[in-house]
Amino acid sequence: MNDLLYLTALPASLALLSLFIRDVKLTRKLVPVLIWWQLGIVALVLHPCLINGQRMEFTSGLAVDKMGTYFILLATFVVSCCITHADYFFAAAEAHGDAYEDQQLRLFYASVNLFLLAMTSVFLCDNLGYLWIAIEATTLSSAPLVYFEKNKFALEATWKYLIVCSVGIAFALLGTVFIFAASQRGTLAVPTLNISELISQAQTLNFPLLRLGFIFCLIGYGTKAGIFPLHTWLPDAHAESPAPASAMLSGSLLNCALFGIWKVSSIINAAQPHSHVHQLVAILGTVTVVAASLLLLRQHNFKRLWAYSSIENVGLMVFAIGLGSGPLFFLQALNHSLAKVALFLLTGNIIQASGTKKLNKMHGVIEDCPIWALLVTLAAFAVTGAPPFGAFVAEMSMLSLSMTDERWALALIMTVAIAISFVAICAHVGKVILGPAKQGFKKFQPIRASIIPALLVLGTLVLGLVVNTEAWSGPWSMIK
Amino acid sequence: MILDTFEALAMVAAIFAILILGTTHLRTNLSFYSLHTMAIAAVTAWIASITHEDHLYLVAAGVFIIKSCSIPWFLNSVIKKINVGTDGGAFIAAPLSMHLGALMLGLSFMISQQIPGLIGEADSRLGSTAAMSILFSGVLLMLTRRAAISQIVGFLVIENGIYLFAVTQTHGMPLMIEMGLLLEVLVAVMVAGLLLFNIKKSFEHIDVSQLTELKD
Repeated sequence: MNDLLYLTALPASLALLSLFIRDVKLTRKLVPVLIWWQLGIVALVLHPCLINGQRMEFTSGLAVDKMGTYFILLATFVVSCCITHADYFFAAAEAHGDAYEDQQLRLFYASVNLFLLAMTSVFLCDNLGYLWIAIEATTLSSAPLVYFEKNKFALEATWKYLIVCSVGIAFALLGTVFIFAASQRGTLAVPTLNISELISQAQTLNFPLLRLGFIFCLIGYGTKAGIFPLHTWLPDAHAESPAPASAMLSGSLLNCALFGIWKVSSIINAAQPHSHVHQLVAILGTVTVVAASLLLLRQHNFKRLWAYSSIENVGLMVFAIGLGSGPLFFLQALNHSLAKVALFLLTGNIIQASGTKKLNKMHGVIEDCPIWALLVTLAAFAVTGAPPFGAFVAEMSMLSLSMTDERWALALIMTVAIAISFVAICAHVGKVILGPAKQGFKKFQPIRASIIPALLVLGTLVLGLVVNTEAWSGPWSMIK
Repeated sequence: MILDTFEALAMVAAIFAILILGTTHLRTNLSFYSLHTMAIAAVTAWIASITHEDHLYLVAAGVFIIKSCSIPWFLNSVIKKINVGTDGGAFIAAPLSMHLGALMLGLSFMISQQIPGLIGEADSRLGSTAAMSILFSGVLLMLTRRAAISQIVGFLVIENGIYLFAVTQTHGMPLMIEMGLLLEVLVAVMVAGLLLFNIKKSFEHIDVSQLTELKD
């Protein structure tokens, strides 16, 4: 119980503090430092779980396993990076003469802390009901981040985000009710929503109801994750929120919804391995990747480009979940988060300096700022899964796993789709980076704005070089 | 067929949900929503008295206070402030969509016999019929109405349908979860209500079908 307090106290109190501190400049410096501190606290509290892989139980319904620990660390890390960069982002906005109001910034910092709190609790949940509440809480706490710019576009994006995600996730609630009914009408007839109990007595659950519940949860949490036909909110929300917020949405929010899908799919996998309904997950992942790669070809907005690339990566992660491989799911999520956060932050820099989001108005960033051009290129390679970056290892292992799993047709389609998205992203980024400079850059600080993205790109590069497939499936297979 | 009292109450809730479909007058919509939720709170209390699960009384009280009093009151004050009386226009005319809703009730009865696993002796078929019909009414409301506030009501009706399903089929989820859900719905409505103010302020209407600026 005490551990739980340590994990949540800092973000909760920071959320309150940032509303009441009068001097926003102080908040801008203080919050990043304390969120990095929070990363340390999380690592310290959860280290038994991290080292020995032992499950930590806090109270009934709240527990964390190794996978959850890694995801909490990733989410906190992403938020700390973004909030550190946000200080530069707001300073640059001030320097360009379109400073934000103090009240706006206070709300921003308060929402970020609530958002972090909600995301941390998602990974602490060992109960499907709590999981639903926590995931809906991430939607509500991030809505002010999407609405940050307070213009018509932001308003439209926020409205869509709130309505589409809330209704989508309502279906996950229906799925949760079905799973609860499945436990009541099983052979043991012990009503429970506790995920570890559900997994341990999975064989005794009422399978038809469980299957129904699984499908509804998949659709519901899938809407939040942005799988293909239900992705409509995602590009809007990512493109209209300020760069640090888009980075957080893409780098940590999507992981929460995918974690929900992972939990539910591990229940149905325990009940009946290789059931037909579970095959659906891998197929849904493939469809998402194919659709996203085709949509990537025709993009006009720099941030929407990365939003669609996020949808593609969500497809890959759903595919990994469909293969039943937890380690690969996390590896893909980790690499995607690192590279995508770097990309959104860099894109934010470029958009701020050039004053446009349109792809056809940007040319020759390499002349204006060579460092940014280099970093964008590297991060774009990283996010498309080119070697030697980390995502390559994950995608390669996924494809070879599905080959041995006799799902070679899916693997084949997936390979083609990944190739298309690679070409599409290279073409778009090439046009922005190369050639003579077309747009006049306003005053900017290239080094200070590149520290965080450079570290992230370096991180995914190191992951690609250090991690090999064997090591990944060895000690890590404990997660499974 | 003999109806249990709680099944009759669930049917009353379903009928109120269909009545919401029948008018585009927003305040009437909210009153119907309030009555509809009161019927659901009554179902919960009745089931609590049958099964002697005391925590359900608390849930019933929560549903009554939060969902059938606070939320309609809040939304009422919002529409009073932004001065919008009726839904600008529905994609399907209100009487027609009400009849569609009645049709859906029949469809729900047929579907409720098909749900695998829910065909035991103890399961209330009419309870799940009502729940599903409410769910469909909510979806219909969201699909056919243009005003942002109708979308919120639609979401609330969908949520009520799911809640009624949980109450009639599983006799309610654990107390902590039910309370969490209530709180979540309340916060969601507050956030949506605040957004509604801003939509009215910047667009001078609350017609969500005209929010189409963002595309690829």
